[in-house]
Amino acid sequence: MSTNLADPTRLATPPTFQAVSLSRRIKNGFATTLVWGAFLIAIIPLVWVLYTVIQRGFPVILDGDWWQKSLSGLLARQQGGGAYHAIYGTLVQGLVCGIISVPIGIMIAIYLVEYGGRSKLAKATTFMVDILTGVPSIVAALFVYTVWITYAGMGRSAFAVSIALVLLMVPVVVRTTEEMLKIVPDELREASYALGIPKWKTIVKIVIPTALSGILTGIMLALARVMGETAPVLVLAAYAPFINYNLFSGPMASLPLMMVNERNNPTQAGFERLWGAAITLVLIITLFNLLATVISRVLAPKTK
Amino acid sequence: MKIQRHGAVLGLVAASALLLGACGSDNNTGAGGNNTPAASDVACGGKTKLNAEGSSAQKNAIDAFVQAYKAACPSADLAYNPSGSGAGVKNFNAGQVDFGGSDSALKAGAEVEAATKRCQGNPAWNLPLVFGPVAIGYKVSGVDSLVLDAKTTAAIFSGAVKKWNDPAIKALNGSANLPDKDIAVIYRSDESGTTDNFQKYLTTAGGWTKGDGKQFKGGVGEGKEKSAGVAQAVGSIDGAITYVEWSFAQDNKLSIAKIDSGAGAVELNAESAGKAIDGAKVKGEGNDLVLDLNSIYGTKTAGAYPLLLATYEIVCSKGYDADTAKAVKAFLTVAATTGQAQLADAGYVPLPKAFQEKLLTAVKAIA
Repeated sequence: MSTNLADPTRLATPPTFQAVSLSRRIKNGFATTLVWGAFLIAIIPLVWVLYTVIQRGFPVILDGDWWQKSLSGLLARQQGGGAYHAIYGTLVQGLVCGIISVPIGIMIAIYLVEYGGRSKLAKATTFMVDILTGVPSIVAALFVYTVWITYAGMGRSAFAVSIALVLLMVPVVVRTTEEMLKIVPDELREASYALGIPKWKTIVKIVIPTALSGILTGIMLALARVMGETAPVLVLAAYAPFINYNLFSGPMASLPLMMVNERNNPTQAGFERLWGAAITLVLIITLFNLLATVISRVLAPKTK
Repeated sequence: MKIQRHGAVLGLVAASALLLGACGSDNNTGAGGNNTPAASDVACGGKTKLNAEGSSAQKNAIDAFVQAYKAACPSADLAYNPSGSGAGVKNFNAGQVDFGGSDSALKAGAEVEAATKRCQGNPAWNLPLVFGPVAIGYKVSGVDSLVLDAKTTAAIFSGAVKKWNDPAIKALNGSANLPDKDIAVIYRSDESGTTDNFQKYLTTAGGWTKGDGKQFKGGVGEGKEKSAGVAQAVGSIDGAITYVEWSFAQDNKLSIAKIDSGAGAVELNAESAGKAIDGAKVKGEGNDLVLDLNSIYGTKTAGAYPLLLATYEIVCSKGYDADTAKAVKAFLTVAATTGQAQLADAGYVPLPKAFQEKLLTAVKAIA
């Protein structure tokens, strides 16, 4: 090795990374192409779906009547009316499901993280939640139909739908809450105990507020998911073209059910209602996801 | 403080809940909804929101009835789920809906027993409220008018007659200029009450030996999905023929064959179909108006169009609570009277006078 003193920029020791060999560059190019290709394959259907829904549905939801009226008293081929009845149904069924499943889910998660430890009951609970996560929505719907309608003799109603949705929502809430509680640092709990504060108060005042933003985000995402479920509404609630505020009896529409119903309507009016309901559902779920982001920003624990 | 921020989130949720509670409206009169005159002799009231389910064949008729019902009784409404005759009977018997819609009357045995139980031990009645004619639609260029009888129709749909200028068709259409062209039979590939009724008609009147049922059994031709599918297919193929609900044949501008039942060629229109309904025999007892379909299919009355699809409303004769009974009676009364006005537009046959009275007698007797 001859040293070239005329080159002052030359390093004393050669850099670790020398020129990249051809074979490595080829591998790199190949992998880059694959990754980008996979990305494009994933993005194409998404953009396509959004484009179709927006192109066909957007003109429909611009009409003010869409947000204020039902389809009551309209023939299949008659234009007009709106989706208020279905929007109401979707939101209320989701809300009631949330009111029932959020406390249950959070309490299960608190038990698992704070009290259960490695006990047999905790293990069994985790196992059950795992199984419940894998239950398809149609199975949950048929289960509720059997228990609530056939055995208990209750009628088909929006409340039955909410119960089926609870079965789908609880495991999601348990899972996200559990993860959030686990990442609360033990030092916070220990500091609280050191001040002589009882365990329950520590959980309520220290652990939950710290994890709250993550928990709420999880709840919002779970809600957004169950509101788009079609199987429970198909099995457990009959469609009604009018507004039914009563949760416990009578048929009640919801956006997925309205779409199923209008799919059998071959007229132009049916086509418009179908896509209008589709974009409305997408919008509502987007809104919930946005709300989840906002809430997690607002409630995030201050680090300073 | 953190507590205040939590409060803000709660406030946000509460505000959106309030927004949700803002009043929506069921009133669609501005959209051209209600254009039927209000009936004068309907006892409105009772349950405001009726629930019914069943045959999809009567969906458009029920929609028209609901419009008239809302015009007569402004606070009332009805939801009809067109999930099929089977589901309609099942959910009526399970007490999930106030009345069921079905393409066929309740079958003796398990179905009737379950219905009696649902009606607190009282019999359920089958009320034939909606009649939809089935058209034999065809498209042959140069042939605007075609007469068929049941026997020739059966021969066409079973493949025995293959050409439009077959002697059997020629014999019925003396002057028509029939081309030497293959007949393209189009049938419903999905299960359908229309297929069932068409095959029953051919069995009764045309010596069809392939049997009936919801699947087409002719063994010739090409299957298409749903009424819209068969009607569109015939509209686009020269030499095609099918059976399809009247409204679909009209919408797709198909030529409709006249049917000769022995007393001359009969065109399909409200009057000729009404004549067939008038001649229908009731085989049920009292107010249970189960029709003897053979009396319609096999009619020899001059000017009666025999190929009809009859659909029933299945109701309790007694055993409803007072509110439900009142509303069911009001709805059925409107359906049988003012609701008939819009039926012809929707492809159904308005009830003839005599039959309407029979129905109203039965409706009045519901308690």
